[in-house]
Amino acid sequence: MKNEENLAYFLNEAKTIKPRELGKKLRVAFLASSTINGFEETMRVKCFQKGIDCITYVADYNQYNQEILNQDSGLYKFKPDITFLILDTRHILGEYFFSWYSVPYDDRQKVIDMKISEIENICDAFTKNSNSNLVVTSLQIPNYSPYGIDDENITVSLKKVIYEINTKLFQYQKKLGKIFIYDFNEFVRKFGDNNIFDYKQFFSGDIKISTEYIPKFVSEFMGYVYAVTGITKKCIVLDLDNTLWGGIIGEDGFDNIKLGDNPIGRSFVEFQKRLLALNQRGIILAINSKNNFDDAIEVIKKHPNMILREDNFACVKINWDNKVTNLHKIAEELNIGLDSMVFFDDEPINQEYVRESLPGVLVIDLPKDSSQYAQIITEMKEFDILKITEEDTKRSDMYLGQKKRKELENKVGDFNEFLKQMNIEVSVKKANSFSIPRISQLTLKTNQFNLTTKRYQEEEVSKFSSSDDKIVECVQVNDKFGDNGITGTYIIEKKNNEEWIIDTFLLSCRIMGRGVEEMMMNQIIEKARLSGIKKIKGEFIPTAKNKPAENFYEDLGFSKEDEFWVFNTDDTIKKPEHIKVIVNE
Amino acid sequence: MSEKLYKIISKVFNVDSNKINDETSPENLDEWDSFNFYVLLDEIENEFKIKFDLDETLEIKNIGDIKKIFLKHGVYAE
Repeated sequence: MKNEENLAYFLNEAKTIKPRELGKKLRVAFLASSTINGFEETMRVKCFQKGIDCITYVADYNQYNQEILNQDSGLYKFKPDITFLILDTRHILGEYFFSWYSVPYDDRQKVIDMKISEIENICDAFTKNSNSNLVVTSLQIPNYSPYGIDDENITVSLKKVIYEINTKLFQYQKKLGKIFIYDFNEFVRKFGDNNIFDYKQFFSGDIKISTEYIPKFVSEFMGYVYAVTGITKKCIVLDLDNTLWGGIIGEDGFDNIKLGDNPIGRSFVEFQKRLLALNQRGIILAINSKNNFDDAIEVIKKHPNMILREDNFACVKINWDNKVTNLHKIAEELNIGLDSMVFFDDEPINQEYVRESLPGVLVIDLPKDSSQYAQIITEMKEFDILKITEEDTKRSDMYLGQKKRKELENKVGDFNEFLKQMNIEVSVKKANSFSIPRISQLTLKTNQFNLTTKRYQEEEVSKFSSSDDKIVECVQVNDKFGDNGITGTYIIEKKNNEEWIIDTFLLSCRIMGRGVEEMMMNQIIEKARLSGIKKIKGEFIPTAKNKPAENFYEDLGFSKEDEFWVFNTDDTIKKPEHIKVIVNE
Repeated sequence: MSEKLYKIISKVFNVDSNKINDETSPENLDEWDSFNFYVLLDEIENEFKIKFDLDETLEIKNIGDIKKIFLKHGVYAE
């Protein structure tokens, strides 16, 4: 693996970087119970390399309590986006770190409870005083006991105590939205206590993570940075020959490529297993390979040791086009940005070509040695998001459904016939506590089929939905290839007894063009008619991205009156006959 | 015995090698601070595969002192 730069590099580089105008901005604060020189420098450089302008605040040595408890502290004036609170076992336990086993049994639980509430109180105070995300490190489980091999038999051993404190912290994190516990022991397991902790540096300068390991430690925090700045990757684009299997299918043939059953082959199987697990978590996979389609697809379909099968790939480009053209096509078909893609290809020339042509794509510096592939993917922080929702874990299935829809469309040829065969079902639902977060998310993220592009936070949607003057409804779309989830929403303002106004009307682009939008408007007009309303009025507010919705009103028979498009409810509206509607009141 | 050593010093402190000599110390080199001194020691230990004692590190007042410790450890680095 490519070695990480050492701390000297980061310290010096940090002096040269200057904020750019167009980068993402991030404010990061560090608080700690020990010396943390080098942390902020390393983080600024790492952020800079990812196109993020990071500004930092570092609390004075061991001043984290005061900084958090004092509402007027420099920390709060700084207004961080993320705050890292780096605690350590020696500091939290104080003398108990050494003398734990002389504490009477009956008192031990009291001490534990006290230590837990100490940390929780600090976190509570922080959430009261700041909107920042707070990342707190869990405590390191000691690797020594004066009881030696008999320590396992001690009921309240120090190891068990720290374990208990950590468990409580992880439970505490679940209660509060903006607090995240970083499992420090994961870092220790990876690199080892004897490496991370250097007694000489500790005695000399209270350095508890040795200078050599500081860059590696800061790397562990980068997942939070990506998640908070929203530059997380969603899709892995893979080459095939010497990336998913060893050898070249076009030359070596089905029986001779290396996949399983030998050292090289095992390395590819392991890599594929890691990819599969990510896919099941909601990371989309795609193929970008120069090959004869039939040769390569046969391996994916039939090779006994292949882990990833056709259904794991949301998009397959096996052809003789160049890699960049294919990446563009994949982005277009999946409707995701190039900047949410990671590209794995063993050929340095392809890596370089994509890196040069598409700076948004994260190109992995994949080495020749396939035994490193699995480790490379497990060390990536670029897939981290703060909270993985059910919607996320379903994403791979949704994209697969999308692919199958496309295949059917191509097969059937006639679009109207395709729509009939899709068995589309639209459930119309009033907003409720379950759907409100999703409705808000749709108003925030939908750009293309969005008539007014008004952005609403959860609290606003919630307020609208409980108001008598508004209607907030959403639609869930099902078809023969599965559930598309809640993909459309509208908000109606009941202006008076004559008129309703369309405040918001949008549909996720992956559903667009199948009649669902017409069906939604039908619902609104039907509802209005039943309430004795004469006119439905709506605006089209043009943006850089909502051209697909431009002619929507006109196509449905609305007529223009000043800035509004108006529909008289006595008139009949075009109805998509291929859709079955289920209304849940 | 200085070339490899000076290369490390120059890298850690980000200064030109020819600005470094036996008398170089925190007093006459702004780039030398208490923290990157630990980074320097760590790099030297890794590069020359030696371990300084704690008291040795505390005795270092200038680059010449590092060379003296090298001699004690039998390191003749070119």
